[in-house]
This record gives sequence, structure tokens and C-alpha cells, in this order.
Amino acid sequence: MSKNKSNSILGMAFFGPALVLLTVFLFIPMVLTVIYSFTDYFALSPKNTHFVGFRNFVKIFGDELFVQSFLNTVKFVVIIVPLQCLGALGLALLINKVTYCKKYFKVAFFVPVVMSLAVVSTLWMQIYSPEGIINTILANLGIEAQPFIHSADQALPSIAVMSVWQGMGYQMIIFLGGLQAINPALYEAAEMDHASAWQKFRDITLPELKPLCVFVFITVTIGAFRMIVQPMVMTGGGPSNSTYTIVYDIYETGTVNWEIGLASAMAVVFVIFVIVLTVIQNILTKDKEEKK
Amino acid sequence: MSIKTRRILNIILAAVMIILSLFFLFPVVWMLANSFKGDAAITADMNTVSAFIPPVPGKGFFDNYVSIVTDTSFLRYMFNTLFYAAVLIILGIVVNGLAGYALAKIKFPFADKWLLIIMMLMIIPSETIITINFLFIAKMGLLNTVVGYVLPMIVNPFNIFLFRQVFVSLPDDVYEAAQLDRCGPVKYFFTMVLPMSKTVVATVSVFTFLNVWNDYLWPSLVFTSSDLLTAQIGLNSITSNDNTTMGQTLTVITLITIPVIIIYSLFSKQIVEGVVSTGSKEG
Repeated sequence: MSKNKSNSILGMAFFGPALVLLTVFLFIPMVLTVIYSFTDYFALSPKNTHFVGFRNFVKIFGDELFVQSFLNTVKFVVIIVPLQCLGALGLALLINKVTYCKKYFKVAFFVPVVMSLAVVSTLWMQIYSPEGIINTILANLGIEAQPFIHSADQALPSIAVMSVWQGMGYQMIIFLGGLQAINPALYEAAEMDHASAWQKFRDITLPELKPLCVFVFITVTIGAFRMIVQPMVMTGGGPSNSTYTIVYDIYETGTVNWEIGLASAMAVVFVIFVIVLTVIQNILTKDKEEKK
Repeated sequence: MSIKTRRILNIILAAVMIILSLFFLFPVVWMLANSFKGDAAITADMNTVSAFIPPVPGKGFFDNYVSIVTDTSFLRYMFNTLFYAAVLIILGIVVNGLAGYALAKIKFPFADKWLLIIMMLMIIPSETIITINFLFIAKMGLLNTVVGYVLPMIVNPFNIFLFRQVFVSLPDDVYEAAQLDRCGPVKYFFTMVLPMSKTVVATVSVFTFLNVWNDYLWPSLVFTSSDLLTAQIGLNSITSNDNTTMGQTLTVITLITIPVIIIYSLFSKQIVEGVVSTGSKEG
């Protein structure tokens, strides 16, 4: 047998199992989602499925609940992204600087990351409860009790703050990796020029970290757009749908109401959104490489 | 700046950060401390510093833990999850590892194109196709089975990519030498490639474990029968029971967190490497 031919067979034998699973559980579902998004597929009576053109897409943008969940998700993103990115960067800079207990700090701020979303949500339900620890501390400071996740105004920011707390350590580790990869010679050169700490940060640290900042910014943004488990466990999307999110809506429309056509249309819109964000990230980071 | 002032500044920085970290960790400390208390004690302590201090070990210290272990199926849920994680680690390393090796070392048709497609698949949020996969598993009659839960979770584009990146830099002459010893490609992969790539194998195993242990949506769809529940879904069924006390809830979430803390302390190097590699891949 020729070498080429035996390589093809061997290659497909090695790649085959993964390819079959990728096809069945990723490619086909993706294609089906796009196809279903143009139909009125209802999972409880699949035989009555018709092609409906763009009607689902028109419908979801006229749907009050979808629009609200979209706006809620945007609110989550607007609160979470700056807090989590800057918080992670700040922590990384501090830990990079500190000389004592470095290892302890790395672990301490990473602990919430390894806890699951369901665990963190369950824990913070107790923390946020009307008689919970935060309200007790507030009472001692003479501040009246806050409803937190039990009010339509505060539920979303409360969940957002919790999510930042949970996720920040992950990006902190990424930034720390980036900081340690910066060539120390750059700082030594700057020190010879008597550069101030701020100048060093502005002219060396920030530009060197820029590609990483873009990466973190986009991944945190996509992560925030994917918000579902926290409101699912803590509020069930309430009070009065104030914490209902896009992915939550997709999930419930599909697996609770069985309106697969509609859920697929939502999913298509959402995936396009995520792809656009990823493309933006690639453009921004490529820019940087070309300038180098 | 003299060495002495620098040293003082360092101490002040560390002190400030210790306070910051305690403030940051207060929910976790509160959870641990109160998992050993009855509800009356939790409420009574709430207004004092003892809210963050576990009670003196004595009679009733482990009451919550004993009642969770003996009165609920929680231990069983934990063992279920450990079992699923073990199965998925082994299958995941074999399937994704073989695929990564094929993409890295075997010149088969369209190998480059497959790599590109796999990198693109890493973008797709799994939540968007979960409904279709659920319908498929339901149609196959695999709801409430281990197979139905495990099957869609084996393949992972990101892990294929990780394996590929590591295998690409393996030296080719080892393979040629192995062939002279009549070591076939499959045997070579399991006896040479995997042992030579311990770090990536460990990284993928650890992330698979964390993924399975912490997953919520997929097991909540597939499992409704209580015999098969994972710990996260079991947590939900225990805490939503009206008879469960606050102390018991805290005990359950502490118990769920212990394995991940153990894994983290054993493999923190691999975890940090894995996390940093997600950044350096793009950055």
C-alpha cells in the first residue's frame, strides 16, 4: 500500500470517532437549528411542521418577553464586563507586585472560580436573604434592609455582582500569565530613564497586555451574554421577568414550551451576535500584530 | 527608594491585600463556618463575629453532615458524578487525543481544513444547541441513561485543539524508531504519545472533571430519575425541599465544593497553565 493511502486510512481511523460525535452532536444540531428557525416546528406535534420564512424572526423581535430578556442581558453585560475586566486586571497587577504571600493571594481570589454556578447561586441566595448576613451588617451600619434578589430593581445588579465575584479570578490568572511574560528588560530600560511607576504602566504594561485585554474583554462579554444558571437557580427569571435572559428564553421556549422553531430563531440570532463579537476580537488583535 | 522603605511598602501592600482577600472570601468563610451549626445558632450568630467562626467541636458538631449523608441520597449523587467524570475523562482523552494526534502528525486529506473547522466550532455556545441534542437523546430513548448523558459530552473541540498543539511539537524520529520495533500506530499512541504528554493529559483531565462536576443545564435535562442525578442537580432537589434547614443547605454546598478544592490544590499548576493557555492562544 502506498504511504499516502495508508496515511489517509490511519488519519480517518484516528480522527473518525471524534468526527462522528462532532457530526451528530454539533454539526447536525447547528444545521437543524438554522433549518428549524424557518419553520413552526412544535415538538409535541412534529407532523404539522410548515416552512414559515422569516416569520419567527419577526415574531421574536415583536415579542415583549424576548425584547425584555435581550435588554436584561445587555444590562448584565454592561455591569459585569467593566467590573470583571478591571477587577481582574487590578488584582493581577497587585498580586504581581506583592512580595509576601503571593501564592495565598493567587489561590484566595481563584476559589470562587472552582465553585459551581449552582453552588455559588445557592450560597448567595442565603447571603442576599432579607435576614441574611449582608442585611445584618447593613443594619449594624444603620442602613435599612435591602430586598436584593427579591425586588425587580435590585435583582439584576445583585446577580451581576455575584457573577463578577465568581468569575473574576479566572481572568486574573490570565492577566498574571501575561504580566509574567513581559520582558523584564523593558522595565530595566525604563528605570534607567527614571520613568515613574505610572509611566511604566502606561508605556510598557498596558501596550504589552493589550491583546490579552481584548481577549479578556470579549470572553467576559460572551460569558455575560450566556448568563442563565444564576437567574435560573436564584430567581427563576423574576421578579416580574427582571432577570430573564436571552439564553434562558431560548432554553424555556425550547425545552418547556417545546416551540423549537421559535427557540431556534432566537438561537440563530444569538449565535450571529456571538460570532460578530469574536470576529471583532480577531480584527482588533490582528491589528496589533501587524503594527508590531 | 531605600531598601527599607521599599520593604515597608511591601508589607503595607500585603496587609491591605490580606484584608481585601478576607473581604472577598467572606461568603465562603460564612458557608464553611455555618455548615456546622443548627439554624437557631446561625440566626443567633448572624449579628456577631461568630457568624464567621465555626462552633467549638463537640456534641452535634457534625449533625448537619451526618443527616445529609444518612437521610438524603447526596452521597450517591456525588459518587454518580465521580463515575461520570471518570468515564468522560477516559473517553475524552482517547477520542479527543486521537483526533488531536491525527491533526498534528498524520497527513490525511483535509487535515488543515478540519483543524480550521474545529477552531470555529469552539465559538458556538453549547446552550444554543442543547435543545436539539435533548430532542435527539429523547428520541433515541436515552433519557435517564448514563449513555444519553455521556455521549454528547465526549467530544470537545477545545480539547482536540489543546492536544493538537502539544502533539505537533513531538519529535518524529521517536515514531520512526518505534516503527522499526514493530510498534503499530495505535500502540505507539497509547504507550508513547500519551505518556510523553503528561501535562496536557493532566490539564484535559482536570478541566473535564471540573466541567462534569460543575455542569448544570445538560444533566438537569437528561436526568429526572433520582438514581442517576449528578451532585449539582441533587443539590437543587435537596435545597428545594422545605424540610431542609439552612445549615443543611450550607453543608450540601460545602460537600459539593470539597472535591473541586482537592482537585485544585493537587493540580493548581495544570489548571493555571490551562487557563493561561486559553489566553495566549488568542492573545
